Amino acid sequence: MSGWDWIAAHLDDIAAATRDHVVLTIVAVGVGFAISFALALLIHRDRRAYAPVTAVAGLLYTIPSLALFAFLVPITGLSLLTAEIGLVSYTLLILVRNIVAGLDAVPPEAREAAAGMGYSALGRLLRVELPLALPVIVAGLRIATVTTIGLVMVTALIGEGGLGQVMLRGFTLQNYTAVYVGTAISIGLAVVADLLLLGALRLATPWRRALER
Amino acid sequence: MNPLAGPATPHRGGATVEFQHVTKRYGPDTAGAGAVNDLSLLVPAGKICVLVGPSGCGKTTSLKMVNRLIEPTSGRILIDGADVVAEEPTALRRRIGYVIQQVGLFPHQTIGENVATVPRLLGWAPARQRERTDELLALIGLEPALHRDRYPYQLSGGERQRVGVARALAADPPVMLMDEPFGAVDPIVRERLQNEFLRLQEGLAKTILFVTHDIDEAIKMGDLVAVMHSGGTLARFGTPSEILADPASDFVARFVGADRGLKRLSLTRVRDVPLAPALTARPGGDAADARSRVAADPFGHLLLVDPLDRPIGWLDPRKLPVSGTLEASMAVPMSPLLEPETTLKDALSMLLDASVQAGIAVDAEGRVLGLLTVDVIAGLLNRR
Repeated sequence: MSGWDWIAAHLDDIAAATRDHVVLTIVAVGVGFAISFALALLIHRDRRAYAPVTAVAGLLYTIPSLALFAFLVPITGLSLLTAEIGLVSYTLLILVRNIVAGLDAVPPEAREAAAGMGYSALGRLLRVELPLALPVIVAGLRIATVTTIGLVMVTALIGEGGLGQVMLRGFTLQNYTAVYVGTAISIGLAVVADLLLLGALRLATPWRRALER
Repeated sequence: MNPLAGPATPHRGGATVEFQHVTKRYGPDTAGAGAVNDLSLLVPAGKICVLVGPSGCGKTTSLKMVNRLIEPTSGRILIDGADVVAEEPTALRRRIGYVIQQVGLFPHQTIGENVATVPRLLGWAPARQRERTDELLALIGLEPALHRDRYPYQLSGGERQRVGVARALAADPPVMLMDEPFGAVDPIVRERLQNEFLRLQEGLAKTILFVTHDIDEAIKMGDLVAVMHSGGTLARFGTPSEILADPASDFVARFVGADRGLKRLSLTRVRDVPLAPALTARPGGDAADARSRVAADPFGHLLLVDPLDRPIGWLDPRKLPVSGTLEASMAVPMSPLLEPETTLKDALSMLLDASVQAGIAVDAEGRVLGLLTVDVIAGLLNRR
């Protein structure tokens, strides 16, 4: 059976694995962003939270992925939850740091003008600080997303993995077509996700186009 | 008050602002930087009061206590008799205009959105916000159709400062706080912005608290000047001419400077002195006629102006053709252009810098009003 024949015969499987891969990634980055955003706002309000939060997130980030899953499986089993806990923990450090850095980069005079003009604290955050922090926040999202797309592969070892499953089976059966297909699609996903985020940022920040010219 | 019921056009009028024994301490040291010590002063409605002093004298702190960006340690601040602490800080700030040195335009919003900030916060209808924005852009001399949808980065420093003023005026506040509003632009642009602002204020009559470290700016802009001493005490409060005539203490005398006599020239503006009529000609005019008119004039200089009476440049009488017509290319570089609001001190310094005997006074549209010579200024100095 040639490589192309194998692909033709397994189109449904490949599509399903790709879909799983995308869903695992979106859930991980989405949940990771929600947690990181809450932590970053906490830090924004009270700087003393910065060191402990980044210390914990940094510790999670340094645990090798296999070791983390080995640690989690006895608790949460060979499950989607286990995979997502692992994936989410790896996004936290990058996202928290970037959201905080984005908020820090808001020009102090814009912040002062907003306060002096009568914005409430929440209004100032939503209408002035977050829009101005967006470029740095999206930069973090791009790194977190691309990293997660790669890490999803590893969760194949605990029964998830999306395209990781395709590759793992390929290795086991010495079917290198499957390995190449898994690799190529995951690289494609990473590139597409990165470009989508970049495009969304450009659409959301017309004022930076004016700046770049 | 129903925010939809406010006037669509700027109306005249401010509110009184009164400081009653206002003290702000940072820590136990009462004389620390930015501290204010028992400040009492009354700014009548519609007047510009300039707070001036060395850095760390508490002038910016005093300003920020009016809109409660900083809360006083003790004492009261009253606007039209009402204590500012009686109102929610956000509601209070929306009815006080605020302009800062770095302007602080929101870089992610268009000029129109920036100007409409407070009307938006007050919940004005979008159509009314737009109408007000265009009105204000026109007021500060920026063509609304050209500038409304641009971003702050696309504007020059002077234009951004103007937009900052327009944004502060948007909801027609009776009181404006201005913290070195023209500090971030070069001296020539600053002079023009000051003049424009004084012209605006004539129509608006807001009550303005204005912070600067520049005594010349204080004398030029202030109806009243409060000189503050390091440690946050009020060293002298009065009109510019009172303070120049009688500084009352060594500190104020030193701060005002040794050139007090010269500074008094700052109290007189170009519009206050008689201007010499300018001998003018237009491109296309008859050269022979121009020659005979110059010969009969004691000043002996001919100013070439465009059809709208705006100056193009001087014509050297010795180089005028004997016959034929005058052309714009014959004009040589110009004397400084003086506006009616330009102070005689600034005018004198511009004339000396340009090494010319006369400046050309022009109105807001750039039309020639007349000539101001160094002799006229010197004559005024002698009379004092």
